[in-house]
Amino acid sequence: MTVSALIFLLLIFAAFSFFMARQKISTAYRQTQQKSKILTLPKYFGYVAALTALLPALVMLFFLQMAEEPYINSEITSYINDSEIEANQDLDLYLNEIKSADTPEKVAALSPEKQVVYQRYHEIETTTNRTISVIVLSLSILLVILGMRKINTETPARRVFEKIIEGILLLAASIAIMTTVGIVFSVLFESTRFFGEVPIMSFMFGTEWSPQTAIRADQVGSSAAFGAVPLFVGTMLISFIALLVSVPLGLMSAIYLSEYAGSKIRAVAKPVLEILAGIPTVVYGFFAALTVAPFIRDLGESIGLSVASESALAAGLVMGIMIIPFVSSLSDDVLSAVPQNLREGSLGLGATRSETIVKVLIPAALPGIVGGVLLAASRAIGETMIVVMAAGLAANLTVNPLEAVTTVTVQIVTLLTGDQEFNSAKTLAAFALGLMLFVTTLILNVIALHVVRKYREQYE
Amino acid sequence: MNNTDLVRKSLKKRYLKERIFKTVGLLSIVSAILFLLILLTDIFTKAMPAFSQTNISLEVTLDPDVIGVGENPSEQDLMAADFRRVIRNSLADQFPGVTKRKEKRELYSLTSMGAEFQLRDMVIADPALLGQTIQVEFMADDDVDAVIKGAIDRNLPESDRRVKDQKLGWIETLEESGQISEQFNWWFFTSGDSREPEMAGIKGAIKGSLFTLLVTLALSFPVAVAAAIYLEEFAPKNRFIDFIEININNLAAVPSIVFGLLGLAVFINFFSLPRSAPLVGGIVLSLMTLPTIIIASRSAIKAVPPSLREAALGLGASKMQTVFHHVLPAALPGILTGTIIGMAQALGETAPLLMIGMVAFIVDIPQGITDPSTVLPIQVYLWADSPERGFLAKTSAAIMVLLFFLIAMNAIAIYLRKKFEKKW
Amino acid sequence: MAPIVKLTDLFMKTLKKITLIAGLIAASQIQAAGRDYISVVGSSTVYPFSTVVAERFGKSTSFKTPKIESTGTGGGMKLFCKANGIDTPDITNASRRIKESELKMCHDNGVDGVVEVLIGFDGIVVANEISSHEFNLTTKDLFLALAKEVPTEKDGELVANPYTMWNEVNAELPAVKIEVLGPPPTSGTRDAFVELAMEGGCKNFPWIKDTKSTDKSKYKTICHSIREDGAYVEAGENDNLIIQKLQKNPDALGIFGFSFLDQNADLVKGSVINGAAPEFETIASGDYPVSRPLYFYVKKSHVSEIPGMQEFLAEFTSEKAMGDEGYLTDKGLIPLGEDKYMKVKTDVLELNNLEL
Repeated sequence: MTVSALIFLLLIFAAFSFFMARQKISTAYRQTQQKSKILTLPKYFGYVAALTALLPALVMLFFLQMAEEPYINSEITSYINDSEIEANQDLDLYLNEIKSADTPEKVAALSPEKQVVYQRYHEIETTTNRTISVIVLSLSILLVILGMRKINTETPARRVFEKIIEGILLLAASIAIMTTVGIVFSVLFESTRFFGEVPIMSFMFGTEWSPQTAIRADQVGSSAAFGAVPLFVGTMLISFIALLVSVPLGLMSAIYLSEYAGSKIRAVAKPVLEILAGIPTVVYGFFAALTVAPFIRDLGESIGLSVASESALAAGLVMGIMIIPFVSSLSDDVLSAVPQNLREGSLGLGATRSETIVKVLIPAALPGIVGGVLLAASRAIGETMIVVMAAGLAANLTVNPLEAVTTVTVQIVTLLTGDQEFNSAKTLAAFALGLMLFVTTLILNVIALHVVRKYREQYE
Repeated sequence: MNNTDLVRKSLKKRYLKERIFKTVGLLSIVSAILFLLILLTDIFTKAMPAFSQTNISLEVTLDPDVIGVGENPSEQDLMAADFRRVIRNSLADQFPGVTKRKEKRELYSLTSMGAEFQLRDMVIADPALLGQTIQVEFMADDDVDAVIKGAIDRNLPESDRRVKDQKLGWIETLEESGQISEQFNWWFFTSGDSREPEMAGIKGAIKGSLFTLLVTLALSFPVAVAAAIYLEEFAPKNRFIDFIEININNLAAVPSIVFGLLGLAVFINFFSLPRSAPLVGGIVLSLMTLPTIIIASRSAIKAVPPSLREAALGLGASKMQTVFHHVLPAALPGILTGTIIGMAQALGETAPLLMIGMVAFIVDIPQGITDPSTVLPIQVYLWADSPERGFLAKTSAAIMVLLFFLIAMNAIAIYLRKKFEKKW
Repeated sequence: MAPIVKLTDLFMKTLKKITLIAGLIAASQIQAAGRDYISVVGSSTVYPFSTVVAERFGKSTSFKTPKIESTGTGGGMKLFCKANGIDTPDITNASRRIKESELKMCHDNGVDGVVEVLIGFDGIVVANEISSHEFNLTTKDLFLALAKEVPTEKDGELVANPYTMWNEVNAELPAVKIEVLGPPPTSGTRDAFVELAMEGGCKNFPWIKDTKSTDKSKYKTICHSIREDGAYVEAGENDNLIIQKLQKNPDALGIFGFSFLDQNADLVKGSVINGAAPEFETIASGDYPVSRPLYFYVKKSHVSEIPGMQEFLAEFTSEKAMGDEGYLTDKGLIPLGEDKYMKVKTDVLELNNLEL
């Protein structure tokens, strides 16, 4: 029996238990004399019965399923050993052809020896499958029978049911924690190995990132330089350019939309800005690399500046455009949170709209705006595709936006997909950079959220 | 001079400032919109050539002897048969006098590498064609395509042109005899990836994206809604719940590439799930979109007025009944909108998938969530990387397909919001 | 409320359906255990060639098309050498020969039989925009223009590279700024360029050549270090982008694989190096000094177990693919000579183990 069929059977049985339990209780209710004692609807007994039939059985099925393959493999190994068939050293590999033989032609194409193993494999598989089905089904049936005996009209079925559901809800909410733990562990584990090879201080404060020396043991001076400062500076430079573009544009757009624009303009402009936010970053990357970067280069050349073809400016500019909607929607939120009476007070004293905005609204909303900018910064720092496609790989320690710089995310991608040597410090460095990235954005977010929350409370 | 005069005098300046301020605001919106337009036009113009395909109509004689099959060949015989020769003979007939090896190769490269498979599939579908002479529209090579569409300028001096004079002559001869035609490129939507630009299609990536999104939706939606309900309605005020909330807010802002590292370390290296599979991609993306959907769902639940809850509770409903029978239905439009936006975000995401082996050349259309596959944004990334120039248009066309899906999803979200939005 | 209730109903129904279907899909997936396609990983340089073979193989046989991932040579080796077994790749592509340490890693993990297949050569070209200056370079010019430190008149003395213009390096070269867009250190192309072009030029200085025998690591540091003052721009592994950038910047030179030059012959032109222009014939004959071998490695234990492996190897090493007139040459692969080709073919046929 396949797993899907088994699950299907379980579902049917659960439905059956539902009706049984409901029936039993409804009948009991009909017979009771004191109708006032009826507290729980019969269907809740049904729900509990259905859950009893399903949940333990599914958990059991999961574990048995996990154990199935090792068990079959050990059985087939002992069979192969007994019958002295010369098998490949790796069992999975040996069985691959057998397992993928799903049509009669493919079975016929197997070697005679494998045909024998094929037969045996299928025998074992069928028996195991049957055993699993029997265990799971009987567990389900047993629990339901026991449960059916125990329930009576006094059982607080609804409360039991609601407790179970609440437990499931809590479990769902805790997945966020598991994800964070997963992230921390996966980057931390490899990072500690990295910091075992490269001292943490030289990673954090070294000013030379020169993986060009570290590809091969026999290549130039294998003393790899893993000073991440140029990467941090590069990341900061590009993010700074992006913020320089997005903060004024985003903020002004938000101000215009919320304070000046008529409903028609708003109806058009808002969705358009949202489209800007919805365009995938790989598209921005393609555009930055093929259209914007050459354009900026030509522009620079025409006024006599030398611009690198992978200038930080191009990547930063496009990234800035990308986060305009982000900044504008955050600013929109904070501006609209400023109490209306501040606005009216200022206008009533004869200030123009712009004076009200500049002298009253913005100062009042400043903490919120700062929080928004910090969130935008953490966005820019973590952005990957635009810089992978449009920024350079040379770790120049410079703040000149016309030169090529590299970023943390670009290095993670190249370190993990380039032609590097396995298990070298280079692969591990990607995880250390990932850790840095995670920690940096974490700190920025915590500060930003704190600021925004404080600000909101101020007016509540 | 009294105060009124002072104010009056400065008025002009203040109004000017006001106007400037307002204009700056308008300009910033206009510039954002302008940028969007430039981007879309740029992609659109680059993509146009990819939507039509140049065909060369040739008369081929399906002589079983030339093809190398006997009487009543089986499908397997036909699979292995040499249909290339038929096409080559036809070309050689049309342009006699081509004798040098190198020239012959140039001549044979007029039709696509896929032409022989095109012919083969025709014969397999209808074996009665064997022995007949038929007129077939073959896919043209990407160079021919480029000449016809003007991507290669015919007026350039020969040394600067990729298609040399001789080949250009052949193409022009074919053109004059009306053997060259253009038609809508259905192939692009019905086939998988290929290394030949003219044969490359987007269907594999679309299906890969679909499977990935299915996994993402199946995992993230129930979990996110459950989490949102718990946090909004049931969670007690304690440190553990605070911790969960902080976690969710932070995960929402963790760079997507970090989720890729998680997927690589946990799902591929630790659980040894298959590389390049929508299953793993979907799990990673669902972890990534989870916070988005949770936050959206929470605000939708929060927006349901307390009076609704109080009314239900007052009538004797339990907390659970109140939530599931009254609060959740009322919050559902908001939750769905948030989910669709989260899905759109997942559809456009590239970086985490780079880490889990989805950057791969996959021709076969994936049939399930464990089959190797790519997704639309990765296909864009891959094609942007290919040496053949024909892929530039394909890349832009793939972007347009991707944008089409995104816009459609967002439109559905907006529609839902408009239709079911309730102001309490 | 009415539309909402309707929506809820509809929604609950669809939700139930979706969960059911998803559950069924997931469950049925657990059952499928075998792998019926070939899994290839490895170098991004070999990727264009191996994908072409894979595609033809998939289209002309009843087997599934192999899956080819571009993970880089090192990343590929890591995955390849992890273990035998269906969840590891069967083949890894490499733009350099496997290293002893990597082969040892393979053996330590139980991957005993590794078959090496040399598929051909890839020329590395130095090219610029088609209408721009003609460059007639020597490897010495390249070394002087791109090295981090260059020797002075006096033997044994090195100074930080002072050259900013090509005509300072060699009076016969055009008077334009030195700006070279090239691959990053993670790339095999860079590796080969440094080894063949830079070191080739470096050897022209007798005293440096002498250090090779006395102080090998110093020799390598001198010959292999590329300047980092901006004259050499690491332009990413995307060779297409390099070509686009060259078009926009006629004064710059770019370093990339021959296949890209071949495809874009109307946009960029290759510079002559040591008297040989980068052309098919000169690379194949070895006159063109900067070319490197391309390989792939096969796990012997997988050949009989993964459906289609033998046929795929046969297709790859067939005359119509790898031969002088094969379709891989259309993609810019420089074919092996007759002798080497025959050796590769027998190696593959007999699945000879690689010994280093």
